[in-house]
Amino acid sequence: MRSLRAAVALTATLGLAATATACGSGGTASGTAADKASAKSLDGQTVSVAAAWTGVEQKNFQKVLDAFTAKTGAKTVYISTGDNVSTLVGSKIEGGDPPDVVMMPQLGVLQQFARKGWLEPLAPAVADSLHRDFAKIWADYGTVDGKLYGLYFKAAHKSTVWYSPAALDTAGVKPPTTFDQLLAAGHTLSDNGLPAFSVAGEAGWPLTDWFENIYLSQAGPENYDKLAKHQIPWTDPTVVAALTTLGKVFGDPQLVAGGGKGALQTDFPESVQAVFGDKPTAAMVYEGDFVGAVVSGELKKKVGEDAKFFPFPAVGTGRPPVVGGGDAAVVLKDAKHKDAAQQLLQYLASPEAGEVWAGAGGFLSPNKAVKPAAYPDDTTRQTAASLIAAADGFRFDLSDQAPAAFGGTQGSGEWKLLQDFLANPADVNGTAQRLEAAAAAAYKG
Amino acid sequence: MTQLLTRPAPGRSAGSARPPRPRLAARIAARTRGGAVQAVLLVAAALWLMPTVGLLLTSLRPKEDSAASGWWTVLAHPARLTLDNYTALLGGGEVLGAFWNTVLISVPATALTVALAALAGYAFAWLEFPGRDWLFLVVVCLLVVPVQIGLVPVARLLGAIGLFGTVPGVVLFHVAYGLPFAVFLLRNQFLEIPQEIMEAARIDGCGEWRVFRRLALPLALPALASLAIFQFLWVWNDMLVALVFAGSDSQPLTVLLQSQMRQFGSNLDVLAPGAFLSLLVPVAVFFSCQRYFVQGAMAGSVK
Amino acid sequence: MRTPTRPRSSGAALRRRGLAPVFLLPALALLGALVLYPIGWSVVRSLYDAPGTGFVGLGNYRTAFTDDATLTALRNSAIWVAVAPALVTGLGLVFAVLTEKVRWGTAFRLLVFMPMAISFLAAGITFRLVYEQDPARGVLNAAAVAVHDTFDPDPSYPGARPRPGGPATTSGGAVRAAPAPPGTAVAVPLVGLKPAALPAAAKPAAAPAAGAQGGVHGTVWLDVTPGGGTPGTIDPGERGLPGVTVRLLDGQRTVATATTAADGSFAFPGHPSGTVDLPAANFAAPYRGLAWLGPGLVTPAIIGAYLWIWAGFAMVVIAGGLANLPRETLEAARMDGAGEWQIFRRITVPQLAPVLGVVLVTMVINVMKIFDLVFVVAPGPVQQDAGVLALRLWLVSFGGGNDQGLGSALGVLLLLLVVPAMVLNVRRFRRSTR
Repeated sequence: MRSLRAAVALTATLGLAATATACGSGGTASGTAADKASAKSLDGQTVSVAAAWTGVEQKNFQKVLDAFTAKTGAKTVYISTGDNVSTLVGSKIEGGDPPDVVMMPQLGVLQQFARKGWLEPLAPAVADSLHRDFAKIWADYGTVDGKLYGLYFKAAHKSTVWYSPAALDTAGVKPPTTFDQLLAAGHTLSDNGLPAFSVAGEAGWPLTDWFENIYLSQAGPENYDKLAKHQIPWTDPTVVAALTTLGKVFGDPQLVAGGGKGALQTDFPESVQAVFGDKPTAAMVYEGDFVGAVVSGELKKKVGEDAKFFPFPAVGTGRPPVVGGGDAAVVLKDAKHKDAAQQLLQYLASPEAGEVWAGAGGFLSPNKAVKPAAYPDDTTRQTAASLIAAADGFRFDLSDQAPAAFGGTQGSGEWKLLQDFLANPADVNGTAQRLEAAAAAAYKG
Repeated sequence: MTQLLTRPAPGRSAGSARPPRPRLAARIAARTRGGAVQAVLLVAAALWLMPTVGLLLTSLRPKEDSAASGWWTVLAHPARLTLDNYTALLGGGEVLGAFWNTVLISVPATALTVALAALAGYAFAWLEFPGRDWLFLVVVCLLVVPVQIGLVPVARLLGAIGLFGTVPGVVLFHVAYGLPFAVFLLRNQFLEIPQEIMEAARIDGCGEWRVFRRLALPLALPALASLAIFQFLWVWNDMLVALVFAGSDSQPLTVLLQSQMRQFGSNLDVLAPGAFLSLLVPVAVFFSCQRYFVQGAMAGSVK
Repeated sequence: MRTPTRPRSSGAALRRRGLAPVFLLPALALLGALVLYPIGWSVVRSLYDAPGTGFVGLGNYRTAFTDDATLTALRNSAIWVAVAPALVTGLGLVFAVLTEKVRWGTAFRLLVFMPMAISFLAAGITFRLVYEQDPARGVLNAAAVAVHDTFDPDPSYPGARPRPGGPATTSGGAVRAAPAPPGTAVAVPLVGLKPAALPAAAKPAAAPAAGAQGGVHGTVWLDVTPGGGTPGTIDPGERGLPGVTVRLLDGQRTVATATTAADGSFAFPGHPSGTVDLPAANFAAPYRGLAWLGPGLVTPAIIGAYLWIWAGFAMVVIAGGLANLPRETLEAARMDGAGEWQIFRRITVPQLAPVLGVVLVTMVINVMKIFDLVFVVAPGPVQQDAGVLALRLWLVSFGGGNDQGLGSALGVLLLLLVVPAMVLNVRRFRRSTR
């Protein structure tokens, strides 16, 4: 899953970077209150940072590191781990030559590292910034067994439904705010000759994201957290109810382009192309903020004109969900330059650092103090605002919290079972039972 | 055995007398049957050619075209064909790097396998040592061991010595799993050398090394060539071993392309030309060395 | 295989004995460390749990035979072993015999043999193109649809359906109009099509001309106006559906049939009453070919790709055997007037039996290790349905779960499955040295 999402994020950055250059310099200029580190205090020190980012993302993160160097005098070395952060960092730790700072892409890996005793808790100054400028939920997601290890620097917003304004106008449909309105709007769209959604069933992970949004809104954050920790089983009535709701979309050939079978042969970029390409075969596609990047980067269409989004609507009496993900910076226990590393985290916690990358595009900051003006366009500003507004209602992608065997492996676990569900949406109880069986095996191992 | 791809001369064993002319009815029957045979083979040939042609044409079409229609529609608009996919692919650097990695893996893996197997095969054929037959029997047993069994333990082993995720690591694995067949083939080949020649050389006072270098190796050259070609193709075409043992900077073409497979429809502009590039080398080897290739295939029917 | 002659002991034997380790050491060291040691390691490791700390005895083997995905893989591997080698050998035999009879046999053999030089990955990509489901892009389904449509042409308006809550309803795919009082027009408003999907000939919807209004009459039209419109009434700009077959029913019996005009109107002059019915054939989804890579057909489809790769190998080896057959029996049989088929069955095949056996066994061993092709051709959602033992082993050991206990158990199972071939090889070797 990581690889797919990384690829998506990469295309995302490719796209946004192009549109962003005009306002790119907005963020770096401010050297104000957040700037506590005394100038050039770290001359001669070197901090090594490992992250999964490659290509454009790597370049943009390098800008952040360069800004840190300009400010403190510390040199930085960037190590690209590719998709296997945990195995690479794990082997370097065994070999006795670990990087100082690692950007953790998955919550599960962060917890795994913390429990192995590989991580250093955040310095008090970093923790202060975190508590001041971030919603509490981000500190919670950075905490393992009562200790604060992770600072979330980059976030993803996965509760955005992207639509073609032309298709909605043609059908006379307004962006819905409740799930029932969404279904009704879908039927009206279909009456006008365009199936409502294209669903990337071949990829698997978009299906888990569908489920997570519905579950968070319908069952509520408490149940969501319990399910993420597998404290309640997947046969719980709340899960069955969420699957039933999901089945209302997946089981309706008017709502899913090509029906379940067609959706199972649609990969993620194809699903975006189905809505925003030259020959649209669907009116809407649900996925995270990175859809916008595919639209502008791959399809050369304008986000905000040819493609807009509305927040994933509330299901039943629940609140609209905000599901997402993020990359957390951690300091390793065996780091050779712990002080400089903590200084880097201090910098990453500042709005200043977030604004550097925000200006370059393909980036959302969980930091409340990052100025909206730093983002390159209105659509990104909107997603960023929605992320900040969600505050403690934000929830981390459930499948990213689960063991990889359940939540992150192509062809098995949750991905596979939701694909089966897409093919046969009537089988709600059977799906719940199989999900529970797979989860039980994965959480045990 | 070297003539397999050429038609055996008709009636080559009965060279003496021509068979009597068949009667007219039989000849007509034979003619129509011949027509049916031709038709069947023509259809089969078309079926066998079609996938590769499809791949080639797809690789030459713009991405938007491939997303909208099949490759056969291009036959109506040949002007839409373009080399853009190839320029983009080769301009990226990543594919060239992977192509280079494939070479860096295949060539040493082939050379090492042939060299080690020649030494061992010679020892099994012409040197005496206790337990020789027993040891060779073990090699025969290892002929059919699936590579899958080695993946996990060898990964740990290579990790312990720092070769995991490197080109030498991949090469070592290929050599080890190529050796049983190679040793088996070359030992049998060396045994074909008449004993008198070997004895004569030895009596002349040639050292064993000289006998091996100057006598045995040249005589076994065709077998060495078949072995080298087969091993080269096997390594060049491998995906599984490299998938496990290669790192991100040592991955060959197959692994790079494989990582694009999960979004098949959207990545055709990379996959189709990439796949075609990857098959160019083995197919070129195939056509230029088909004689040895056939020998290898014949000898390989034990593995 | 020639009977090898053993070198006699000579005076230099001692020196040569000293040399043997030097010649053997590199190869044997590699074999020992990377092939023999892993076998032992796997056997031991397969008795421990996933993290490798708890001894579970044969627990992993029990899992292998109870876990759904692994059972599927075992079943598929069995199908592969049962079907693929026989098909490859059979096809190879047919090709080998037939190519002897035509002038361009050599060219044919080259062509069919060539795929063997191609990697499973490249072949897999090639066959993903062949098996693509969308008939507009996949050549196999394009052919299937072309053949199908020759006999059964496409419906004109796939996906069109009555306006929900409107006067018309569906029954089993057909559209049934609500009964209208005699003399008034029957309205059949349809939705589910883009206005752009109508044929260019379609005209603004209208009731039939006055002269035709003697009997049941009405209009079939696309009740869709960009931005809304009034459902159920003909808004300006809404166009009729030309060429729709309309039946007039009296109970279950068809009384008359008509076709809509360019403006969507239809009329049954002389029939004052009846139920208007638009048969399902107007709206059925068009034939789209077969789901080659769906869960049901994916294994046969991949076997098809395998056949493409390996038939050439079988053909060449069998042709080699064929060339070495004594021609006398053949010629004699021909002179006796035996038919080609009889010669093939009674003489060629029995004489070739040893070669056919070798090819078959080679293919069985090869098929058991099949991995790349399945991994590449099967799309994500059906990868488990297409799974084979070797693929399952890889997924279990490295794909997220990293259960090397179960992975090792599968490896040992795989090894056990090739043991018969191992025994066969050893016996052949023993025979040849005796």
